Amino acid sequence: MNEKEVRALVERMIVELAGQAPTPQVKGADYHPMERESTAGDGCLDDISEIDLRRQYLVKDPRNGPAFLDLKRKTPARLGVGRAGARYKTITMLRMRADHAAAQDSVFSHVDEAFVDQNGWVFTQTLCADKDEYLTRPDRGRRFDEQNQAIIQKTFGRSPKVALVVGDGLSSAAIEANAADCMQAIRAGLEAYGIPPGPVLFVKYCRVGACDHIGDLTGAEVVCMLVGERPGLVTAESMSAYVTYQPHIGIPESKRTVVSNIHRQGTTAVEAGAHIAELIHRMLEKKASGIDLR
Amino acid sequence: MSEQLLSVGIDIGTSTTQLVISRLVLENRANPFSVPRVAIAEREVLYRSDIHFTPLKSETVIDADGVRRIVEEEYRKSGFDKRQIGTGAVIITGETARKENAWEVLGALSAFAGDFVVATAGPDLESILAARGAGADAYAREHHTDVLNFDIGGGTSNLALYSHGELVRTGCLDVGGRLIKLERETGLVTYVSPVLRRTGVCPPPAAGERAHPEALAPVVEFLTQALEQAAGLRPGRDKLDALLTEGTRWEPPDRPPVCSFSGGVADCIYTPQGDWRAYGDIGVLLGRAIRESPRFRGAQLRAGTETIRATVVGAGSHSTELSGSTIFYRNAVFPLKNLPILKLTEAEERGSAQALEQAIGAKLRWFADEGGLSQLALGLRGEENPSYSRVRELAQGLARGLEPLRRAGFASVVVVERDMAKVLGQTMAPLLEGPVLCLDGVGVDNGDYIDIGAPVANGAVLPVIIKTLVFNK
Repeated sequence: MNEKEVRALVERMIVELAGQAPTPQVKGADYHPMERESTAGDGCLDDISEIDLRRQYLVKDPRNGPAFLDLKRKTPARLGVGRAGARYKTITMLRMRADHAAAQDSVFSHVDEAFVDQNGWVFTQTLCADKDEYLTRPDRGRRFDEQNQAIIQKTFGRSPKVALVVGDGLSSAAIEANAADCMQAIRAGLEAYGIPPGPVLFVKYCRVGACDHIGDLTGAEVVCMLVGERPGLVTAESMSAYVTYQPHIGIPESKRTVVSNIHRQGTTAVEAGAHIAELIHRMLEKKASGIDLR
Repeated sequence: MSEQLLSVGIDIGTSTTQLVISRLVLENRANPFSVPRVAIAEREVLYRSDIHFTPLKSETVIDADGVRRIVEEEYRKSGFDKRQIGTGAVIITGETARKENAWEVLGALSAFAGDFVVATAGPDLESILAARGAGADAYAREHHTDVLNFDIGGGTSNLALYSHGELVRTGCLDVGGRLIKLERETGLVTYVSPVLRRTGVCPPPAAGERAHPEALAPVVEFLTQALEQAAGLRPGRDKLDALLTEGTRWEPPDRPPVCSFSGGVADCIYTPQGDWRAYGDIGVLLGRAIRESPRFRGAQLRAGTETIRATVVGAGSHSTELSGSTIFYRNAVFPLKNLPILKLTEAEERGSAQALEQAIGAKLRWFADEGGLSQLALGLRGEENPSYSRVRELAQGLARGLEPLRRAGFASVVVVERDMAKVLGQTMAPLLEGPVLCLDGVGVDNGDYIDIGAPVANGAVLPVIIKTLVFNK
């Protein structure tokens, strides 16, 4: 008996037992028409993704709402969202879907090439031909073909002190939101420490491991890569910096220093940039990165 | 990473002088994969001195040598060397702050007690340190509620209202245990504070009379009702106004707060003495009256974690704060002591580089005297998520605005509230010669003073002590 037949049988039995097919019953007292939320007068809906979840508290008649809001300010978790019957309220459900969609979009969209040009970054691409290959073949996101290798070598020259790289990674939105400001702050910081910042390379379909190939190709003392983090429901715009002293193919992951959570609500792009500049300065001094740096 | 900082607190009060030595444990609270965030994870009092009477040379002069001997002796007894002391504060409180040589004693003592031991005074700061020492701010934060701390000493009661851990306001009443002093054996009144005559409502006993609890009851009742009115537990404010310390203001809270008591009289509230003359004053009676007051009984009460030592523990354990963990400094000579704050308005802060330069230039003149400019710290709110071009504009405006100060030979010190000091400092540094210091995570206002100690936790953070002399929020 397949699933369809079982379903038909059960339905028939219910009809026989009850005399009629069950229909959901809503008692009059339980029925509350949905409250009208405020809608903008010009016919435009409010952008629900603009609401700061840390300041949104939806429980009706709370015992101590301000106290809960105080706690909420410490976490972006979806707490204190109230309920409609046994379910989320509509706004919570819609916001979840909006955030999920933003996360997916930022994985599947591309960093605008005009954005790359505007910032004066040099464009390169890994061995991946498209997003599908990028997602399914991490190994190919770490290496460059000969043509791109030549661009990288021409851009950085031989043995630069530092090679600055921006990679799209898993979130193009993160790069468009943070990388330009962060990179400007890094460059200014390096100059303040007397380190020539050199040009900036942009890598499409980029994995962190691409640093190692760049290290081998240029002999750079430090490679610093800003890369989009795998997006989540909290933010689709979080960026990390991976900074490695003398990276080369086969270098252990423990030799990388990472600064994560660079976004509007985390460490801001400019302040992270200043921190990274100092980090690079320290690495050049101590000739180490990752767990060796401490 | 965990690092320790030894901190000293010294309180020279109306009647007593005390010292504590505390340990502050610094810890990086951020995960290893993000920008560090160093915080004070633990405060522990390691040594509590005896409670000494404050030595006076006359009614108007403090015995400076006497105070110094007490501190020297207590250091010796504690077993700590003053060179180990990383931070701390000396506070001169109550009546003692009005003595002729108060500031000299304070200055000399802070230099003597350690390299970065800060001199403080003022009823606002006294209220804040006492409330922190009594744990009122922590209680308000943890329980998400309003707490009003009364630090009831000999001559005054210092009030501090905290809402959810944030200071709302401070105040001061002339309510204390030693407004009337008497002989322990005979009960003969030896001293009546002029404050009591000022109130007029209930005539206090005159000096030389023999006092009975019944005769003192109206005075004690009056003092208690003033406290009730201050807490908003009794309607009206006539008694409150009658006892407000001159030149201060107090608004009772809108909602009844949790009431917390510290100071010497608090001991008489929580552990009542059988003998009402035990201390030769009206402290025991006042404590008893507060304990038995139906208004206070109807309110939520909380015992301070410290009572008579609240202020000194506040000075020792709670006066030091840490800056944010991403800061910038170049060639600065620490400690920087007693810098007045020049704070820009919100509108001024949003201005272009040129507007910023002009705003700073205009305000610098306020801080100039016949001797010219003096060292100060520029206070900013900062921006939530600024673009780099905005940071550069800010840096240009600040650098140009602070140029006259630099030319006069002073360090360029900028104190920002929001997390942006490192990028601002790095961007400003090439534009300015000489010492540059830029720190964040610290909110300051006009009228405040800031003291900045040498970097700790591998140079990641700076210990700072903010002295709020005027508090109006």
